[in-house]
Amino acid sequence: MDEIKLIKKDLVRKKLIVQKNLFIIIVLGVLLIGLVNSIGLPTGGVSYCCEKTVAGAWCQNSPKDNCNIGIDPKTNSVFRAVASNCESLSYCKMGTCINSQEGTCMENTPQRVCDENKGVWSEKPVDEVPQCSLGCCLIGDQAAFVTQTRCKRLSLLYGLETNFRTDISNEVQCVLSASSDAKGACVFEKEYETTCKFTTKRECLDMMSSDSSVNFHEGYLCSDETLGTNCGPSQKTTCVEGRDEVFFLDSCGNLANVYDSSKAKDMEYWSRVYDVGASCNSGQSNADSATCGNCDYYLGSTCKAFKRGEDKVKPNIGNNICRDLSCEYKGKTYSHGETWCDNSEGADKNLPGSKYFRLVCYDGDVTVEPCADFRQEVCEESQTNGFKVAACVVNMWQDCASQDTKEDCENIDRRDCQWVAINGTSESGYQCPLLGAVGVSTTDTVKFKGGGCVPKNPPGFDFWNSAGEAEGLCNIASATCTVTYEAGISGSESCVSGCECLTQAWEDSMNKMCTNLGDCGSKLNFIGVQGFQNKSAITREDVDEEEDSGGGGLF
Amino acid sequence: MNMKKRMVKENKRGKTSLSAAPINQHRGQVTLFVIVGILIVVLAILTYLFYPKIVAGLGLGSQSPSQFMETCIGDDIKEAVHIASYQGGSINPEHYILYKNEKIEYLCYTGEYYKTCVMQQPMLKQHIENEVRDYISATARKCLDDLKASYENKGYTVSMGMGGIQVELLPERIVTTFNNSLVLTKTDTQRFNSLKVVVNNNLYEMVGIADSILNFEARLGDSETTTYMNYYHWLKVEKIKQSDGSTIYILTERDNPKNKLQFASRSLAWPPGYGISGVMY
Repeated sequence: MDEIKLIKKDLVRKKLIVQKNLFIIIVLGVLLIGLVNSIGLPTGGVSYCCEKTVAGAWCQNSPKDNCNIGIDPKTNSVFRAVASNCESLSYCKMGTCINSQEGTCMENTPQRVCDENKGVWSEKPVDEVPQCSLGCCLIGDQAAFVTQTRCKRLSLLYGLETNFRTDISNEVQCVLSASSDAKGACVFEKEYETTCKFTTKRECLDMMSSDSSVNFHEGYLCSDETLGTNCGPSQKTTCVEGRDEVFFLDSCGNLANVYDSSKAKDMEYWSRVYDVGASCNSGQSNADSATCGNCDYYLGSTCKAFKRGEDKVKPNIGNNICRDLSCEYKGKTYSHGETWCDNSEGADKNLPGSKYFRLVCYDGDVTVEPCADFRQEVCEESQTNGFKVAACVVNMWQDCASQDTKEDCENIDRRDCQWVAINGTSESGYQCPLLGAVGVSTTDTVKFKGGGCVPKNPPGFDFWNSAGEAEGLCNIASATCTVTYEAGISGSESCVSGCECLTQAWEDSMNKMCTNLGDCGSKLNFIGVQGFQNKSAITREDVDEEEDSGGGGLF
Repeated sequence: MNMKKRMVKENKRGKTSLSAAPINQHRGQVTLFVIVGILIVVLAILTYLFYPKIVAGLGLGSQSPSQFMETCIGDDIKEAVHIASYQGGSINPEHYILYKNEKIEYLCYTGEYYKTCVMQQPMLKQHIENEVRDYISATARKCLDDLKASYENKGYTVSMGMGGIQVELLPERIVTTFNNSLVLTKTDTQRFNSLKVVVNNNLYEMVGIADSILNFEARLGDSETTTYMNYYHWLKVEKIKQSDGSTIYILTERDNPKNKLQFASRSLAWPPGYGISGVMY
């Protein structure tokens, strides 16, 4: 080897110019293995459309080995498996399955599955199926944005007349159009006594048809003195199903207005129906208020029976209170309906094993929603007036490595990437392989010209899986830099080009690029344990001028 | 000296022999009491566990035929509903994911990455109804036989027709109808076209919500849990993503946390890396 070098140097001296190619191969993190192994067809080669898989799933594109080729006990025929995509086969073609009894429509249903379950199948997407077109179903004082068949079914189930309106085309408008029946005091004679029931006009009219003594007083409460009934104010309150507020009850057990302790003896408050908006502290949650029962679910309270230990104060009257629905979590208070991110250890640095989580506070209860594993989803949080809203969003890192300009790299509409500047840039850039990237051939390369494009949130890889793609993906960070030396007359060498690759800064920035690609390079895991590869690998190799074609290579 | 010693011995013996009879008697009594006590406890437990069926079997009490059936099969219906609703609507799930040792059926599934799921159970309500019906059918036959025997024991002439069982999920309840005509004749004649057993449950509402979630999964690959909790205040929706890309949904009635509907979906799953080298099945 030394002899060869001496011969080379002699040759160079004769020409007075000696070029020495130094290959600096940085293999950051793991050992390099060819990426070819990580690219290939799904196990089993050709994809089949399995009518049913061995595991029991219907209509799946899968290798033949996974197809169930047994006999369907229901039809006595063999389950089909055809070397084609399910979409192109009639029995597994996707469409809409209509439940004509319930009036519901299920999307993305194969014909075979719909038929098996005795549904009506249509090959059209749900938006184009007439039976699935939605309208506003007004039923009693409720509204639902459903199909016409569903509206009829609801009418049958609840024993109420319905009004299906096709002119209302969205759910919000539909819900707002629901109007409650007029309510009031329905006064009647019972056992030689004038009594009263607080109810709807419709129900009172029904009572009138069988009893001539019945009178309806719209907007009046049964406790109104002018009605002359045996019902009067009381010190009782109640919660009503489907309503948030605490209500007073009169002495006959009828509903009165929203609980307001300051008006417990106000006869005017016990005579007419007051709108909730005109009741005490409207627009506030009134959580844990001893005096006001105007609870609001969306503002964080709802009517519940008072519980010592759970509610902070006892109501002044009755036994019901606006329960505070906020949550306590890790010493902090979160409002009802608030969502926030609380990620695992190391997620801020996207360390191997770290994961994002969204937390949800509802009804005083915190639920944890993990985002997708391998950091394929990340939790993002925003805040408006101190109210946090979070969501697990897809981490679009897949095509970062194929972006070679900062502008394309940081186009947040297309991808979640960041540009990492490489210290000591070269005009020609560094050729890097792009193996593994979607839609890129194994011979394509990317130039890190002044920097590289890497995921903003490095994804996790199944690096423990020998059939996985971790090694191939991490190899993207492998770079080949050609450094040219000129030999002086005295035998000394001076760097002519690519000299920046010899600096520590270049090595550090390349290492940063590597670790930002995913679970690559030298890292601690999320619990602080060092990976088994704790050094970046740099290999130097001398090459002849002729051998150096200028292209990149993978080592 | 010797005499004294012997006397003492005799005395000791005498004492011993005198007191031996009452102790043995006492032990016998204790044993007897213990046995009787155990019998009473066992009888009490058995009565507690099987009282309704004992009463029904012996023809005691004055239950109507529907009440008889409710006593006889009500628990089986509740059990079937419980099992099915915890396992994605199936009594014996075929294609499932294991979660906390429970088999949870996939109602929407794709084994591929980057693709939305294929609906596996488009008629969930009917599927659960059929599952519950099949689960209780054997018990139902026995209960109908017991019902007939019970009224015959009371001196009735009983005529019972053949008929199927229908399970219906309805708002806030599950109605099981035994379509067996029943004619009871003693001094007068009572006719029943069918017998109904009603179980209070919110499964109907939960199935509707599950359908909506599944449509979102099939179209967008995900769903937003808070939307449902905003609309249905009685409901808690949990979404738990698994490492293989599956999502487990748990719908729980807040005031009655034992009432749950659990199901799984695998839609728009993201692989580690690009997922070129494999698919799941």
